[in-house]
Amino acid sequence: MLELTGIDRTYDDGHPVSALRKANLTLTEGEYVTVTGPSGSGKSTLLNVIGLLDRPDGGSYRVCGVETAGLGERVRVGIRGQLFGFVFQAFHLLAGRSTVENVELGMLYGRHARRTRRRLAVAALDRVGLGHRRHADPRTLSGGERQRVAIARAVAGRPRVLLCDEPTGNLDSATTATVLALLRELNTAGLTVVVVTHDERVAAEGDRGLRVVDGTVTEVVR
Amino acid sequence: MRAGRADRARLGIAAPRLRPGDLARESWLSVTRFPGRSLLTALGTLLAAAAFVSTLGLVSTLSQQVSSAFDLRRATEVVVKAEDPGLDNGWQHAEPVDRLRRLAGVVAAGPRVTLAERPVTRLAGGSGGPAARIMGADPEALRVLAPNLVQGRLFTAFDESAAARLVLLPRALAGELGLHRTQAAVFIDDRAYTVAGIYDDVRRRPEALHSVIMPFSTANRLADATPDAERDIVVETAPGAAQLIGHQAPLALHPAAPDALRAIAPPDPRTLRREVESDLARSTLLISAISLVIGTVSIGNAATASIAARRAEIGLRRAVGARRRHIFTQLLCETTVLGALSGTAGAFLGLAVTAGVSLWNGWLPVIDPGTALRAAGCCAAAGLLAGLLPALRATRVQPVTALQR
Repeated sequence: MLELTGIDRTYDDGHPVSALRKANLTLTEGEYVTVTGPSGSGKSTLLNVIGLLDRPDGGSYRVCGVETAGLGERVRVGIRGQLFGFVFQAFHLLAGRSTVENVELGMLYGRHARRTRRRLAVAALDRVGLGHRRHADPRTLSGGERQRVAIARAVAGRPRVLLCDEPTGNLDSATTATVLALLRELNTAGLTVVVVTHDERVAAEGDRGLRVVDGTVTEVVR
Repeated sequence: MRAGRADRARLGIAAPRLRPGDLARESWLSVTRFPGRSLLTALGTLLAAAAFVSTLGLVSTLSQQVSSAFDLRRATEVVVKAEDPGLDNGWQHAEPVDRLRRLAGVVAAGPRVTLAERPVTRLAGGSGGPAARIMGADPEALRVLAPNLVQGRLFTAFDESAAARLVLLPRALAGELGLHRTQAAVFIDDRAYTVAGIYDDVRRRPEALHSVIMPFSTANRLADATPDAERDIVVETAPGAAQLIGHQAPLALHPAAPDALRAIAPPDPRTLRREVESDLARSTLLISAISLVIGTVSIGNAATASIAARRAEIGLRRAVGARRRHIFTQLLCETTVLGALSGTAGAFLGLAVTAGVSLWNGWLPVIDPGTALRAAGCCAAAGLLAGLLPALRATRVQPVTALQR
């Protein structure tokens, strides 16, 4: 489904830093993959490249057989918004919007009209167990609840791949367990899940492990 | 474009879009869910709109007030003088003055002669009396001046034809002379005159307030011995006829040489009002334009500052499928909504100020909804303009920003 071949990404702020070197990776539909590695190793860059948030300097990246290198902004943005869902460490819930409005925001630029978005958002909140808090101000929610709202926002539009960057980085261990169970449940339902993490326990949850060191991606043998 | 459509079809995705209704709703929510922040941002345009509406409203109210209270007496007054003081006074005789009186629009007209100051005393041969100008006016001229008598009577046609030695004294002068009743005698140039009346005000020609008034024919006799007599004819016209009579009077009075006479008519009140209004409106527009510029800059500044605070939100929107143009349009829409809202609020404030000040002063407020609409429209345009640069900057925020903590 996702196929990265010889991907290079170099950041140049005066001193060139290779974040990814000739990275090769193939992800098939329905996989649950965790990516680990030390800070600055390039694992977030890998996630950015996969999610089309960042453009590689070299190599080939194919999504469902379509080469992304030559794609225009409109198609790249379409893939990002509709095939991928994103979960961030910092939740990024908008203040001044209710929980359900935050979930709807994930589908704002897609194909669904407002009424459908509301229906899908309510369904997604029910799925993460927060249907009863749909009108709450996100600032009144706990950390775990906020991350579940963020997950609901990422999956409400029914993407095919869920990309999570340190999704439990701001959570205690009990809440982490709830979030991990939710990710597993979504994966079981057919969603491809990619989780970037520092946490070994979170990494152990995946069916497949990847390790990024100095921009090089290797499989973790289990 | 076609390749893009084929790729989207293969991937099973729709073109990213932001529906107009969604755009409006997002902008509305961004502005209204943070009323404090929005108010601070838009304070400049709010005040500009309030200034615009209230000053224009007050100018209209005032000019309405001015025109309703416009000195109708001054607007219906014409004075005809000789260009050359040495001109023979034949133009003041009965026949030409009758011609003038027959003109359509003339209500009353009569000749006057004014003599230099001389002492007025209570005793013959007395000295040290207060000095006053002598004004001769025939009964018609007196009708034009319309002194307000506190005692006594005005001159009649008989007094005029008989050149009666009668005078009307202003109350202040009578007080100085210690006169409190009519029928007493006063002396001017050693000649006795009977006080026919005492007056405290005149409706026209305020210089008459400081003059001793006597019949025209009586004053003429004094004037014959005085080279510096000033002669004129005062005319009361029907409302609106002053300009016309001003043109016609010299010809009626001196057909042989109308240019020898000069008629002084008041400016047309409508023209005057228009001039006053346009002058005031110009200053108002200038003040409003300056405040609008300040308002625009303040919205622009605040919007630029808010971009920094909203980097994560913008990154998130980009990550969930917003194109650069969606970000640009939304931010532009937000500042426009902000401008329109603050303009509307400011317009209401301006109307309230106009109504309040008018009521306080007992004026009839003139409220023009068009002005309020224009103010709101200008502020919306200012918001749009102010949003351009920050919106452009916001499109440079990369979606990766959302991932940074």
